[in-house]
Amino acid sequence: MHKILIIEDDSKIADLLTSHISKYGYQVYHVTDFEHIMDEFHQHSPDLVLLDINLPSFDGYYWCRQIRKESICPVIFISARIGEMDQVMALENGGDDFITKPFHTEIVMAKIRSHLRRAYGEYAKQTEERVLEREGLKLYPERMEITFGPITASLTKKEADIIESLMDRYPRVAGREDLLEKLWDDQTYVDENTLNVNITRVRKKFLELGIKDAVETVRGAGYRLNVSWTEAGEV
Amino acid sequence: MKLFFKEHILLIFVQLLQFIIILSILWLDGHQQFSTALYAFFIGCFFLSCYLFYHYYSRKKFYNRLSMTLTSLDESFKKTDETPISEALDQLLRDQYKLYQNQLKTLEKQQNEHLKFMDQWVHQMKTPLSVIELTAQNLDEPDSSNIREETERMKNGLNTVLYMARLRSFEQDFHIKPVTLSSLVHEVNQDNKRFYIRNHVFPKLENRKDGITVESDEKWLFFIVTQLIHNAVKYSNGKNSIVITIYESGEEAVLEVTDFGVGIPEVDKKRIFDPFYTGENGRKFRESTGMGLYLTKEAADRLGHRIELDTKVEEGTSFRIIFSSSQNLTNM
Repeated sequence: MHKILIIEDDSKIADLLTSHISKYGYQVYHVTDFEHIMDEFHQHSPDLVLLDINLPSFDGYYWCRQIRKESICPVIFISARIGEMDQVMALENGGDDFITKPFHTEIVMAKIRSHLRRAYGEYAKQTEERVLEREGLKLYPERMEITFGPITASLTKKEADIIESLMDRYPRVAGREDLLEKLWDDQTYVDENTLNVNITRVRKKFLELGIKDAVETVRGAGYRLNVSWTEAGEV
Repeated sequence: MKLFFKEHILLIFVQLLQFIIILSILWLDGHQQFSTALYAFFIGCFFLSCYLFYHYYSRKKFYNRLSMTLTSLDESFKKTDETPISEALDQLLRDQYKLYQNQLKTLEKQQNEHLKFMDQWVHQMKTPLSVIELTAQNLDEPDSSNIREETERMKNGLNTVLYMARLRSFEQDFHIKPVTLSSLVHEVNQDNKRFYIRNHVFPKLENRKDGITVESDEKWLFFIVTQLIHNAVKYSNGKNSIVITIYESGEEAVLEVTDFGVGIPEVDKKRIFDPFYTGENGRKFRESTGMGLYLTKEAADRLGHRIELDTKVEEGTSFRIIFSSSQNLTNM
């Protein structure tokens, strides 16, 4: 399990980041004593550091240089400063990447994953494959497969994204806007119909697994996963 | 010269009057010799004109200066000449200059402080905004989306403030390099996908020629395109697509953003680029500050791009950013 150290003086952001990142199976620490950051660094010896620039006493650039004296672990800056000069400074002082506030958690996660991959290799110390499970229904987002009882179905990228959001948000509603945003990829832009079409496909996939009415439409809000099955494989 | 005469006309008049009176007293007293009188009169005139000539030539610069207008503040520092009255004038101008300078300096300092404060404040607001956004992600729908819609709006507002402040120091804040238009548009769309989704308006990109590249500043161009897209989406009014077209027209490269919405009334057309002007549409739709297009136009002007628009009420508007032939690097 990779260890991540968060150095951020706004405790709310630190808490939110901690809870979000640990959902993805990382061990997260956050620094509370900003006078002795290096002590905490030694104590946890993290695999990756998220670092704010504006900190009490010394700034993030300084701490980055201190970290660089003893470690080559990836350092990602998170800051409200958006000037080109600030980014240059961050990278010149030994940072590996820069994320500006207000940030999107998905971007933070993507950058963390990519830097860990680059630094420690895809398979070395592999964190186990991510699995989302709900009452015996298992989704493997990385291989895009879903398993229920003895049956396994393969999914398209879009279907996997939708099911992942639904399971992630359960028992809450997955917002229409969030789902559309997830489906939007670089090359082809979505439109209103994309979501409807893909939800229909997802429902069909659930039927293949023998599950009826798994996706419930919530008018004006989005879709919700409706757990109509049990662990034992009964529908 | 004119000023000098105006100044001395009374003196000349009084002198002449004096000659005549003295001569007539002598005349009436019995010294009735015409030639002597004439001689005395000429001598009087001679001395008078000597005085006037001397006076004029020694103060020529002074009079010239008084009749000329000041064109710059620094000119008030110029030395006139050595006569007492000129020195007094110089002193007066110098004092005035100093007072004005002091006042200007204080105002300038105040303004800079204010700008610095604004800049800092905008950056400080970003952290609470992130906290709100992250917290909202864990809420139930539709609250979650609603809150994030509002934070997005605040984010845009804060960005406008930042760009407004940057416009003042534009000369130090741009970096010209080749920019590929299609990838820039992709980035802008990616950045605004939530905005599109929320407004139920979706973009179509029409790339009539691959790899159109122009010379521009990426950050400012990004800002300009974002503003145009925001307007297009905001005033789409129920129509659910906008079209972004990239093409070449003659030697020039063009980026066009077209919507099929409300259009701009003829009366507003001339003034939409004015600061704080919101027009009829701005009053009908909410969250119009009147700053978006002003900043767009200012930034485009400074980068040397032209902005054109076609619009028809109820049919839509298209804005074009035109890159001149020397800025179009596509065929190089």
